[in-house]
Amino acid sequence: MTTSTVPAPTADPRIPFWRNVKTIGVIAQVAFVLLIVAGIGVLVNNVTTALARANLPADFSFLGQRAGIPIAETPIRYTVTDSYARALLIGFLNTLKVAVVGVVFASLIGVLVGVMRLSTNWLVRTIATVYVELLRNIPLAVQIVFWYAAILLPFPPRINNPVALPGGLLLSNVGLAVPWVYPTYRFGAWVPWLVGALVLAVVAAIWRRRWLARRDEVGRVWPYPLLAFVVVAGVGYAVASLDRAPTADLNVDFVADRGRGTVYRQTEAGREPVPFVPVRVRLESAQLRATSQNLVESRERVGSTVRFPLLRESEAESFEIAFADPDAAAASGYRLHFDRFPSVATVYVDRNGNDAFDRGEEFDPDTGVGYNGVEVVMTVTGFERVVVSDRDGQVRTPLFTAPAGETAAAEAATPTPGRRFSAFGPAAAQAGGTAELEATTEVLGVGPLVLSGTSIPVSNYEGGARFTVNYLALLLALVIYTSAFIGEIVRGGIQAVHRGQREAAMALGLSGYQTFSLVVFPQALRIILPPVISQYLNLTKNSSLAVLAGYAELFVIASVISNQTGAAIPIALILIGSYLAISLAFSIVLNNVNARLALVER
Amino acid sequence: MFQVIEPRPAPVPTRGPAVWLRRNLFSSPFNSVLTVVTGALVAFSLFNLARFVLVDASWGQVWANMKLFGVYRYPADLLWRPLSVAAGLMLLLGAMAGVGGRGSITANAFFAFQGFVAVLSVVAVLFWPSVRLLWPLVLVAGFAGYLLGRAWPRVAKVLPWAWALWFALGLMLLYGVTPGSGLLRIVPSRDWGGFLLTLVLFTGIIPSFPLGVALALGRQSKLPAIKYFCIGFIEVVRGAPLIMWLFIASLLLPLLLDVDANSLPAVMRAYVAITLFSAAYMAENVRGGLQAVPRGQGEAARALGLSAWQTTYLIVLPQALRAVIPAIVGQAIGLFKDTSLVFIVGLADFFRVADIVSVQPQSLQVTGGVKLEVFLFIAVVYFFFAYRMSVASRQLERQLGVGVR
Repeated sequence: MTTSTVPAPTADPRIPFWRNVKTIGVIAQVAFVLLIVAGIGVLVNNVTTALARANLPADFSFLGQRAGIPIAETPIRYTVTDSYARALLIGFLNTLKVAVVGVVFASLIGVLVGVMRLSTNWLVRTIATVYVELLRNIPLAVQIVFWYAAILLPFPPRINNPVALPGGLLLSNVGLAVPWVYPTYRFGAWVPWLVGALVLAVVAAIWRRRWLARRDEVGRVWPYPLLAFVVVAGVGYAVASLDRAPTADLNVDFVADRGRGTVYRQTEAGREPVPFVPVRVRLESAQLRATSQNLVESRERVGSTVRFPLLRESEAESFEIAFADPDAAAASGYRLHFDRFPSVATVYVDRNGNDAFDRGEEFDPDTGVGYNGVEVVMTVTGFERVVVSDRDGQVRTPLFTAPAGETAAAEAATPTPGRRFSAFGPAAAQAGGTAELEATTEVLGVGPLVLSGTSIPVSNYEGGARFTVNYLALLLALVIYTSAFIGEIVRGGIQAVHRGQREAAMALGLSGYQTFSLVVFPQALRIILPPVISQYLNLTKNSSLAVLAGYAELFVIASVISNQTGAAIPIALILIGSYLAISLAFSIVLNNVNARLALVER
Repeated sequence: MFQVIEPRPAPVPTRGPAVWLRRNLFSSPFNSVLTVVTGALVAFSLFNLARFVLVDASWGQVWANMKLFGVYRYPADLLWRPLSVAAGLMLLLGAMAGVGGRGSITANAFFAFQGFVAVLSVVAVLFWPSVRLLWPLVLVAGFAGYLLGRAWPRVAKVLPWAWALWFALGLMLLYGVTPGSGLLRIVPSRDWGGFLLTLVLFTGIIPSFPLGVALALGRQSKLPAIKYFCIGFIEVVRGAPLIMWLFIASLLLPLLLDVDANSLPAVMRAYVAITLFSAAYMAENVRGGLQAVPRGQGEAARALGLSAWQTTYLIVLPQALRAVIPAIVGQAIGLFKDTSLVFIVGLADFFRVADIVSVQPQSLQVTGGVKLEVFLFIAVVYFFFAYRMSVASRQLERQLGVGVR
């Protein structure tokens, strides 16, 4: 047998260079790059000439200028006098605020929906299927407007008649107010303890892990370190709150008939407001005035309603509520019915004579509208409320006036009937006229943390944490929309776990819940996590639809700035850069997760 | 000896409604409680929904503004133009369905859309004098296409060209030819709107297809300049939301091309943004398909002497594209929903018209407004189309065996 030798494939000199694949590749790339460069050159040239002609800014220097954009919801302090750069930062933080909370809730609901999709119960399964199919196939934009304009704006009642949910939560068409814990000026005393507790917990976790590994035991790592953390932090809190008395330099300048004051500390530089200090405000005797009005609330006509600022019955020794002009009211046959004592009442005429309010009696039978402009006066004795100063050191209470009769000025300045929100705006303050309203204030002692309750002193929430209705609508829509997608991923992941795993776990005597939580779900998680993380990224990008709910996140603020300054190019670059940074962060997380999951795999 | 065998107990029934109920709703005490509780909740919600839809809601404004929802400010006397484009669409869909044959996925989807057209035809005949004959014509065109496809399956070969022709002629017909008045007078695109505009923007998926394939092939290229350009384009575009690209396109396109902002209509800017955005996603879908084609296919083709172009065009791409049809349909659903974002550049698409209708003076006279009614209406329409496409996508997946491994 002979072996024929094949010549090694060397570059054949007979092939002309213009047919050499390598040469062609290089030429093609050079041509391509030249084409791209030329194209970009033309575009850049176009843009610069166009910008120069229109006299629009093309660099980032405008960022330092005063923005003058009012933003309703700011995670950090912001005023209209701040710069464009800070406004953009607020937008970015607002994006994160909706994205982070959204991701948490979407995951919880998504897992629930995914599990429901696999329920043995037909009804539950069907509900989950309908949920997923319905929500995945309706544009997110429609859903946001639906929640915002069609549900959250019209349905919760107005701010002056909020729904009081258990736990001190208040819901109205302005938004949701939640009691919230804030760090006080004493927080610093607690910090060393917290740091110590954290270090101890980490050390304990490492030690526990090693101990488990040495004994070759299976066990949970985290319970003991967590316990150590809680104990040390708790002891630290107790020690830090030993001295609760307010420091001597704390003052409050509360003006009762303006319903506001500031907690401050006198320093050489001047007054420095102190946030999150509880102050007890006490008024021996004070009055509030309100006028009945007709309005549309929760898509229904509401007649003759009288709205005082939100007062809780426990906050005063007594409430006396009467018509400002008793004779005229008696002549017209007006009576008062309390929908919510003492803040919300209805003026009615007892037409059927049963000595009680019946629906329809608040409307005038001749005109069909309610009794508008009937003035009602509330006299409060012994009003007492603990108010926690907000992050600007402000303390607010309702705009009380001095009791009538003490001054003639109060009588003279009685607001004209029919004036809306008489107890809520300047009218009430004017009604007090020159009368001095006496209030006693006392700065209360406090530990490292303080619980700030919710109240509505004038026409917006004070205290606690406040979530605007815009934020809630966007969050709701994003969570519900994304949870439908996550639900499908979870279902697919659980179904992808081999039947045998489940059967083996059941055979070993594990309960249904144990089988799911210890055997099936951990394995499904490996399949679920990567696509779910890309859903998180989608949620974050979708938050740019916030403009539909009027929530000021990054894109909304950027587009407002672009319209104001005409700086289209810099704004476009900032937007692209920000979103790419977010995408990059997510893909780093995704790669980490993938690497970890790959290690877990057999 | 005989032993008397005891009669066996009657077999436990394994079918019938009682068994179904026990198995699916009351299999355990926990399940029974769950059924009762969720059943009560569902009944309560359905009752409230039904009460709202049938009693409390005021649908008058939705009904009165059907023309706005359909075509926005497109002149009423020229409605035959969009409707003939719709007739062409149904004709081509019908032909595709006819070629596929009865019970095929395309036929099922086609008949669902045909049902939609049939409902509109009945309504048009009864209530809308201006389009009384036109809607039934669309319906007839659909059936004609179906019969054509059934009779001559070879029509499938010219269908891609027919689609391209429909696309070009349709846009021309919508826009018009002659200035001034007359049957073919120009209707500026700022008068386009409603569901018409939503569909026009949705056709952005057609030009995005070749672009996406080119980007995907470029991303697989061995030439670094081309490869990294494509990667950069795809990742940058996919990294930011569509609404931002629409906004940027509306601001920057006139600057980039150095033309007067008025000479570049908003529809065109949005169309460019949608097409490029969609192309980036399309490229990723196609890349998935390209990676799924075994290497041996390309190598075998090269060994047979096919050129690089022929290998790609005849061997690799057909297999790759076949595998990603469900993903592309999924992307089409996404794009269909995302067309609602063009409100940001001031276009009055179907979604924006809902907002316009809800702030009309007549709407504001209704106690509590008509937002809920209007948005429920458009949600139902969006849902119908998106859901029908997702059903088709799932059937395709099953047929191609993509989901089964």
